[in-house]
Amino acid sequence: MTPTSSPTGTHTLGLVFPPAGRGRDYTNMQLAFIGGVAEAATTHDYDLLLSPADDAGDVSFRRMVEGGRVDGVIVMEIKLEDDRVEYLAGTGFPFVTIGRNGRADVTGWVDLDFAGLARGCVYHLADLGHRRIAFVNRSEQLFSSGYGSARLGLEGYTKAMAEQVLSPHAYLCDDDVTAGEAVLEQILLDDPATTSLVTLNEAALEGLYRGLTRHGRRVPRDFSIVGVAAGRWAERVEPQLTAAEIPAKEMSRVAVELILRRLTRPDAPPRHILLKPLISLRDSTGPCRPVPGSEPEREFPDLDRFPDLPNLPDLPDLPDLPDAGF
Amino acid sequence: MDNRKPVSQQAPSHYAYSSGAATATISPEGIVTGWSEGARRLLGYGAGDVLGRAAAELIDSYDAYDARGSLSEWGGGGPVVLRHRDGHLVQVALRCSPSLGADGGTRAFVVTATAAGEDAAAADVAAAVDATDVAPAEPGRPTPVPMSTPMVEWSHAQSPLAMSMFTRGPQGWRPEPDLSGDLPGEAAEEGFLRLVERVADEGAPMRHERTAPGLFSSRQQAWITEMWPVRDPATGEVCAVGTATFDNSEEHWARQRLALLNEAGTRIGSTLNVTRTAQELADLAVPRLADFVSVDLLDSVLRGQEPAAGPLDTTVALRRAAHQSTHEGAPEAAVPLGGLDAYPPFSPPARALASGKPLLSGVDDPEYLRWVTQDETRRERVEKFGFHSVMSAPLRARGITLGVAFFARRKGSKPFEQDDLVLAEELAGRAAVGVDNARRYTRERTNALTLQRSLLPRELPKQVAVEVAYRYLPAGSGAGVGGDWFDVVPLSGTRVALVVGDVVGHGLHASATMGRLRTAVRTLADVDLPPDELLTHLDDLVTHLTYDETIPEDLEMPSAAEIGATCLYAVYDPVSRVCTLASAGHPPPVVLYPDGRVGVVELSPGPLLGVGGLPFEATEVELPEGSLLAFYTDGLVEARDHDIGAGLDRLCQVLSSPVPSLEVTCDAVLKTLLPDTPADDVALLLARTRALHTDQVAAWSLPSDPAIVADARAQASRQLAVWGLQEAAFITELVVSELVTNAIRYGAVPIGLRLIRDRTLICEVSDASSTAPHLRRARAYDEGGRGLHMVAQLTQSWGTRQTSTGKTIWAEQPLPVD
Repeated sequence: MTPTSSPTGTHTLGLVFPPAGRGRDYTNMQLAFIGGVAEAATTHDYDLLLSPADDAGDVSFRRMVEGGRVDGVIVMEIKLEDDRVEYLAGTGFPFVTIGRNGRADVTGWVDLDFAGLARGCVYHLADLGHRRIAFVNRSEQLFSSGYGSARLGLEGYTKAMAEQVLSPHAYLCDDDVTAGEAVLEQILLDDPATTSLVTLNEAALEGLYRGLTRHGRRVPRDFSIVGVAAGRWAERVEPQLTAAEIPAKEMSRVAVELILRRLTRPDAPPRHILLKPLISLRDSTGPCRPVPGSEPEREFPDLDRFPDLPNLPDLPDLPDLPDAGF
Repeated sequence: MDNRKPVSQQAPSHYAYSSGAATATISPEGIVTGWSEGARRLLGYGAGDVLGRAAAELIDSYDAYDARGSLSEWGGGGPVVLRHRDGHLVQVALRCSPSLGADGGTRAFVVTATAAGEDAAAADVAAAVDATDVAPAEPGRPTPVPMSTPMVEWSHAQSPLAMSMFTRGPQGWRPEPDLSGDLPGEAAEEGFLRLVERVADEGAPMRHERTAPGLFSSRQQAWITEMWPVRDPATGEVCAVGTATFDNSEEHWARQRLALLNEAGTRIGSTLNVTRTAQELADLAVPRLADFVSVDLLDSVLRGQEPAAGPLDTTVALRRAAHQSTHEGAPEAAVPLGGLDAYPPFSPPARALASGKPLLSGVDDPEYLRWVTQDETRRERVEKFGFHSVMSAPLRARGITLGVAFFARRKGSKPFEQDDLVLAEELAGRAAVGVDNARRYTRERTNALTLQRSLLPRELPKQVAVEVAYRYLPAGSGAGVGGDWFDVVPLSGTRVALVVGDVVGHGLHASATMGRLRTAVRTLADVDLPPDELLTHLDDLVTHLTYDETIPEDLEMPSAAEIGATCLYAVYDPVSRVCTLASAGHPPPVVLYPDGRVGVVELSPGPLLGVGGLPFEATEVELPEGSLLAFYTDGLVEARDHDIGAGLDRLCQVLSSPVPSLEVTCDAVLKTLLPDTPADDVALLLARTRALHTDQVAAWSLPSDPAIVADARAQASRQLAVWGLQEAAFITELVVSELVTNAIRYGAVPIGLRLIRDRTLICEVSDASSTAPHLRRARAYDEGGRGLHMVAQLTQSWGTRQTSTGKTIWAEQPLPVD
């Protein structure tokens, strides 16, 4: 442990947080986190130093840690394999992460249960009678770089769909409006009878709404959307988005508390806080109204119309279809 | 009569009409029944001397008259010699005409005696004037009373009749100065001359009645003028017009009193209003009977209560119900309208009250003087206006004394007479009956209104879902109380029920039925039934009421179903901003949207209550925040002069014009749509919707997974932290935990959790199953589940309600006090 890690040292915390938006700008969500961390640090009488580093080689990041300018570091936007985490763990510099990755067992972190959230979204739609539920994920780039929430979200979605004995349709989508519109186009092209979707991509949401409007699908009468988004942001679209809220403020506060605890009790085992916010009911989900002509043969499903279900066992053996109408 | 000359050729003479004409009436039996002043002068007997005596006793000799025979046999008349009181003989020409009754039989004879002088011309003139055949006096008979011009003039001057002769001159018809006595009043004015001319033109007699203000302001003078054409006996041409005018004031006054009484019958008691009736008495009596009138009533009478029977004999406190004066604003009154005054026992009004009889009094009555000088104000008023003659008449009806009327004449008016007292008593009697009727009606109506008010909400409960204003107007005159009602019932989850209903018909029975329905609606609303279901229950209730009612046959009361009752029940949820309405035959509400659009809410009208068996349909309307709902009863929009459509149009118009507050809107609506006295009673309930925003409501969807309970608890706790309600977190977490667990274990998906921060903190868990605690409020062991038991213990209240998609269990806890 370096002397600079003493709690009586700089009284400054470092926040390593690369901008995720196009053209490297901070999204509203990111700004909410930055504000939250700064505010929480201030209440503990700590200052904040920000580094937009997305890898360990970043100059500002190195300066922050090696120059001893901070007592501890909070790392955000971590990937499944993250060299910043590797570097910090290697040096033994005190740090916690917002989000978790492959080293989750040995680091301290606070995270959202994205898998649980995606699963909850699927269940919410299924409870309303929806059977054709699409999933709109983050961008391909984030996904392939091993972005935690995108991977975990897809995992939860797929698992929940399997539990509901439904066929998953997952799509990657860039973080912008145009991409959202295009993805919706693709969804309805692949299965015109789709009545709902789950999205983790708040930046594409407006595009999704636009696409639905263009197809004459009204939300929530003809189409339900449920997502994961910050509260204020979900209320800004019309109709307001039924969504699990990302409690940015609470996560920031918890992260600061975790790093301070790490500083005061360096020998304690790392703590893991997994938050599972509920889906806030707003106006974008409603009972399923099947697309006309799309599901006339519920009792005698035509398997040819469900090309995504080739590996499923025979339908009559399905143990617990939630639809009690059978 | 050959020797007659035309009058126009004769010298003017005061014989033209003998004001000294001696007239008497004689019964068919020959008894004198009437005696004129002229007769007195002719024979010297006064009326008292002669009346009741046989006419024959007056006759000295008459050739053709058989004193023992009947007058009818005697015929038209003739010269006769009468004996004067002093013994001398008077020669006259008698003319006798029978006075006929309705059956044509002779009732009496009118006998006129004309002094028969030597001047034949005089007789001629008299004959011409009377247009009768009077035989000339027999020549050679001495004339005891010589005719002379001065005597004729005296006769004119002393006559109670004012006589004139009008002739046509260059200026038209004018009185002949020598032949005309003093014409009373303005007899010579233009209007009168026109009448003279008319008599001359038509050649027919005429009677003209004329009134003029007399010496006293309260009395008119009246004269009657008899007018007749004077014809030239030779040519038959009208050459003059004679008039005779006499004072008719007494008869006029008698007729006026009669007219006053007659008018009292129609004008006093035209309404069932106590003070109005009293005012009608005062208005009627001034100025025709008195210069100032006041009517004082017992306080109990004005309140509609039954006063004690019998006269009042101590110092009486009375309330001034009305007064009237010939002076604007009745400055004479010592007591203002509505003021209380005490009459000492010796005062005329108190004496009249004590005796129960009317009383004439005035300045010659020491007790009157004592009364009016005792009180400073009264003394000053009496002195200023000079009340010298007063009457007090008690207002009595059915043996009960209700008050007293006081009549006064001031300086310049004649004192009251006995006749006036009789009239005052009669007027007071009529007024008393009117006041008593009004009093009894007032009592009935007050009772009924009290009942109805006790059945209507006095103060609406506090709730935040809507801002309300309301009015209830009972029907105008006569129709009595009605069965309209409205209500505002706070429901769970900050929702509110708005109710308006109408039991058709009027009277206590309608009010009582209304009271039962309102209570029923409150009770049903309290178990949180959806509108359509609530109306179904209410319908059942009305049907049962009909069966249960054992109405005595002599009371012709319609049963509830026969009456017909309507009801509109609406539930507004400020969270979803949805209003759910159902109607049982009630007119739909009008809604004004915040953007200014206005219209009638379209909903299924539904059957009337008590019809039974037919379904009620619920309609859902989403209302933007700040929408204005107007609930009303048909009395508001229906009227005789227009149908319900026109009424609704007007209601829409009034609502859409901008007004600062709901109260003002209420007033504007009533003012625009209703006449002064509405025929039906009217209830109006205005509600402006509020909405709860995200800073007051949070709702989440829960998967049916026991693992979610902990997350739900944490989420609720987080939400409370956001709201700054950490103190409520402990109980809320427990409640959430129990309710969510129950929902997951027994309920059906989708499951929802909702927190509402309002005047209280409300926690609701809903699921799609409707099989949980239903229609029941928890008593400690009802549900058996320890969880609900704990919820009941921890929270202020809890309950369940059915929804269209399942049920909701809610628990309310008070907000921590800041």
